Amino acid sequence: MIALALALVLPWAAGIVLVMLDGRKRSIGWISVAVLAANLVALIVLAVEVLPDGKVEETTGDWPVGVGITLRADALGVVFALLSSAALLAAAIHEVIEGVRERVFPGLVVLLGAGLTGVFVTGDLFNFYVFFELSMTAAYILATYGGTRRELGAALVFTTVNLVGTFVFLLSVAGLYHVTGTLDMGQIAERAAGVEPNAAIMIAVGFFAAFSVKLGLFPFHFWLPTVYTGASPAVAAILSGGLANIGAYGLLRFGGELLPGELRLAGTALIVIGCASIIYGGLLAVSRRTSSEMLAYSAIGQVGYVLVAIGIGGEVGFAAAILYSVVNALNKVLLFLTVELRGALVGAVFVLGAFSVAGVPPAAGFIGKLELFRAAIDDPAVLVLFFLGSALSFVYVFQIYQFDFWRGERTGPRTRWPQQALVAVIALPVLAMGVWPEPLLALSHEAAAVLAR
Amino acid sequence: MKLIFALAAATLFGSGAYLLLNRDLVRVVLGVVLISQASVLTLIASGLTRGMAPIYPLTERDVSDPLSQAMSLTAIVIGLAVTALLLVLVLRTVDAFESRELDEIAEDEALRDAALERQHAREHEDEELAAR
Repeated sequence: MIALALALVLPWAAGIVLVMLDGRKRSIGWISVAVLAANLVALIVLAVEVLPDGKVEETTGDWPVGVGITLRADALGVVFALLSSAALLAAAIHEVIEGVRERVFPGLVVLLGAGLTGVFVTGDLFNFYVFFELSMTAAYILATYGGTRRELGAALVFTTVNLVGTFVFLLSVAGLYHVTGTLDMGQIAERAAGVEPNAAIMIAVGFFAAFSVKLGLFPFHFWLPTVYTGASPAVAAILSGGLANIGAYGLLRFGGELLPGELRLAGTALIVIGCASIIYGGLLAVSRRTSSEMLAYSAIGQVGYVLVAIGIGGEVGFAAAILYSVVNALNKVLLFLTVELRGALVGAVFVLGAFSVAGVPPAAGFIGKLELFRAAIDDPAVLVLFFLGSALSFVYVFQIYQFDFWRGERTGPRTRWPQQALVAVIALPVLAMGVWPEPLLALSHEAAAVLAR
Repeated sequence: MKLIFALAAATLFGSGAYLLLNRDLVRVVLGVVLISQASVLTLIASGLTRGMAPIYPLTERDVSDPLSQAMSLTAIVIGLAVTALLLVLVLRTVDAFESRELDEIAEDEALRDAALERQHAREHEDEELAAR
């Protein structure tokens, strides 16, 4: 319980103070890294508490249960909170070593950490919206990081599209409150079965659109390439490895737990949209010649796998979706951070990331793909598409590897060793999860069991 | 009453969507504002009840739903904050591009992409030749 409060309050309070200080100073940067590390430690302690018992629940402000806002940490939330916190920490260290260029950067990353932790541990529908908006607002400002025409244009597109997505989400929140009469997610899940189907479908479509915009799925992807290629590598890593988790988590939580009937109904549609995303992202990524562009389109393709797994549903499907979200976020953080680096170690790390994206052992991506194949085993058409998507991703990552590292098209001075060491350290879990996948598999099945209950 | 709210919210959302598709950046911001107001109206409409003010201790008579009021207040405040943020972003964009037309921003991006494409074409000339 203390861990839950600390994980939330620490980055929140520290973030407010840090935003007011000059983040370009090295010391302020390292303080923000320390806060993010403390947040990660608190989340690990929380995970140790949560995993054996099921969940940790707390009503805020000493209100009686049912009146106050509930914070509820279960296996699903904790997995995503840990993942996002780790992604933010990695990106923050990268940027602090590189030298922060704008004063608000460290404070905003910490505030984004507070928002993301809140989103994943809240048990209240409207509170979810508030934390969601807190993290999005921090991300809108982070997208302008750098401040040249390119970043500003990208940030404008990102902010406008995502604001509309957020308001669509709010419309669905209003609808769900109207039909169930409660904001507590547990109670909504109990009452959702009795809701009139037409209303429930409308609400579910609203949630789907809102979270798909965050994820950048195929018909909602139009903002994504501009933003991921326009933003600086650290910000792109934060957006794809941290913020995009809201989309995957939201689809799992709102589809799998709150509106399971509607999710089953839409299963085929989700699989079709996911497959379209895989093929679209893969084909466009093959045609790209720079690593950041390739990664942006690859991000569209990779979330397609998550959606297909959610569409298949059941414990196996959800577990595959969670596992693949984790693997994909790690891949994206790793590869985006290497975008502007040069050196032998960077090349080795890129190869590992490339193996992981393509789903080749010994990287973690292989385990992700294996679980996906296991979930889709009854559906030969989807299996063929998965195979095609993997082949495309193999082509696009190694094509970029060839351009950047064999032909030596990355120019500029050789990266100093702390940066190279950092990406190597981030690569370690990707390798470790591929070599020894049992803990990750157990964790994702534990998290999926929360939904399948 | 519900119908009036529904119609008002639908009109706001529709006008907002129309403005959002405009080329002028200030109109885009106005579109986002209108859409945010549509969702606030929907929040108010989600708990339409008539009754006493819900002040503790509760009397026997019906009370009106305080939750939808609290939610709409929060949504209004958040909407105000993000609108301010969006306006600052537009201001910085206008400063950087010296224009408030979305077309010119898109053109800038297209020019950058074209330059990148040409650079790659130069670098991979030998490959293209070999392929032919």
